[in-house]
Amino acid sequence: MAFDAFQKRKERQLLWLLLPALVPLLILTIYPAVYAVYLSMTNEALTGVAAAKPRFVGVANYLRLFSDGRFWNSLFVTFVFVVGSAIIGQFVLGFISAIALRRKIVGAPVFGAAILLPNAAPEVVAGFMWISMLAGGDHATLSKILVFFGLPYVDWLQTFPLFMVVMVNTWRGIGTAMILLTAGLAAVPAEVYEAARMDGANPRQMFMRITLPLMAPTIFLYMLISTVSTISVFGLVYALTRGGPGNKTEVISVYIYNQSFTAFQIGYGAAGAVVALVVSLALGIAYVRSLKVEV
Amino acid sequence: MAGISEKRSGAYTFLAYVTLIVISIFCILPFIWMALASIDSNAQLFLKWPDSVTFDHYTKVFAEENGVRWFANSLFTVLSATFIVMVVAGLGGYALSRSKAWWKQPFLYAILLIRVLPSTALLVPLYKILLTANNGIGTLLRPLVGEHYRSVMQLFGFIDGYLGLIIVLATGQLPLALWIMKVFFDGVPKDYEEAAILDGATLVQRIRRVLIPLALPGLAAAGLFAFMSAWGDFLLPLILLSSPELQTLPIGLFRAFLRVNEIDYGLLAALATIYLIPAVIAFSFARRFLVQTFSGGVKG
Repeated sequence: MAFDAFQKRKERQLLWLLLPALVPLLILTIYPAVYAVYLSMTNEALTGVAAAKPRFVGVANYLRLFSDGRFWNSLFVTFVFVVGSAIIGQFVLGFISAIALRRKIVGAPVFGAAILLPNAAPEVVAGFMWISMLAGGDHATLSKILVFFGLPYVDWLQTFPLFMVVMVNTWRGIGTAMILLTAGLAAVPAEVYEAARMDGANPRQMFMRITLPLMAPTIFLYMLISTVSTISVFGLVYALTRGGPGNKTEVISVYIYNQSFTAFQIGYGAAGAVVALVVSLALGIAYVRSLKVEV
Repeated sequence: MAGISEKRSGAYTFLAYVTLIVISIFCILPFIWMALASIDSNAQLFLKWPDSVTFDHYTKVFAEENGVRWFANSLFTVLSATFIVMVVAGLGGYALSRSKAWWKQPFLYAILLIRVLPSTALLVPLYKILLTANNGIGTLLRPLVGEHYRSVMQLFGFIDGYLGLIIVLATGQLPLALWIMKVFFDGVPKDYEEAAILDGATLVQRIRRVLIPLALPGLAAAGLFAFMSAWGDFLLPLILLSSPELQTLPIGLFRAFLRVNEIDYGLLAALATIYLIPAVIAFSFARRFLVQTFSGGVKG
């Protein structure tokens, strides 16, 4: 009995310690998410009549959203952005770097640091640096390099905007992919490779039959994480193109931002936000389940 | 046999070098342009060797632009947020590690899921909540401070004020920090605390004398990640701050870049370099914690 009372008191103390974290999370993350659902069913606006007296409009915003070509375009752009940069670009280049760095390489820490450096760059700095690489037509650094190899001048951000945004986001995430996949590679026991070598397996066979299958859970987890975090990328795209030219690089987060803060249609922007929230949450739940969190 | 496989191995090593060199150049080329442009007396938008080396751009950032102000604003808001995160996540992470109550597992799942919510999607409702809070604190303070109302609101306001930005920045970093601290305390044996309890120490004494010294490495990791993420955040200051006196470095850089008619690339590069350096320093310390956060936190 005395022990029970002691446990109860201890748990109450612990709850008090958690309270300073619980309160801001409830007010500033959970409540806004719920509030977004409510806002999406009103005609709330930042200015004008609707700002003073918002009305409940039911699913009208969603009907409008699903018939809005610009919204579908932003979903398509987001899809290309995520698949191109997170699933393909960062993963492939990060995996290649991780595998290359498993050999005895002179200056391995220097290569590692160079590949990780873009990770440290704040989004606005990354956008600014890449404007130098890509914008300015004839004068862009990338043009100068390619002209050196005999290729024609291209205005990169005007001609291939989405591909360029994908490339820049790839650039930013190779390092993380490399680090996480290096950890995954190190976890594959050396004896397995040893046994395969004894059986006369070549490097390609060992990669396809041992490395990939044993790494599959790590790779799956990595892809979920990078997909979710790439969906929410805003600053990089906004600083680089602001969604343009046209709406060619308007990913969902830039779309929501433009609808809410440029067009001032809060209710309508919230409907887009709810779609983004639902997709992210679904992926997040898959992530949490596959993580098998020990608590 | 051995000869062939050695030759093969040599070819693979060569391939590894070529790959690493190409990827590394891709990764650092933009940085090289920025570093060179920031000291080039005739800086251009493309990569070139400096005409002559000068540090005028750096002095200009501080002397002519509001560089000092932006830097101080960034440092103040981000360090305050980081400090709050370390305290709150230290306490909360301890509670999450030691509790056996029913709310533990739902809470842990919840903080993992909060991390995946895109911040742009939460921004509008968040803005409305902050606006309400701002009006509330405004009506409260207005009769008290009178003519100083504007400057007081720049400190304690939730919209266009330091307090709002700091609290929202801190809340954004809390989930990962809580996770890091929970996992950290899981690795700290309970013997120390139990010994302290037997010696009759109160909860506050236990926290101050036993837990804080033990938790320092975990707090350092949590603080580093909070600092990096808050330092790099662009969206929140973009939405929450409008007064020129309150601008932070990312917004100063972004706005300076938008003044299309008078772009001074040397100046911008110097400003961007100044903004980049603290991020790189923090990242170089945080690097070794990167893998651990992967198992629970979402990268970003």
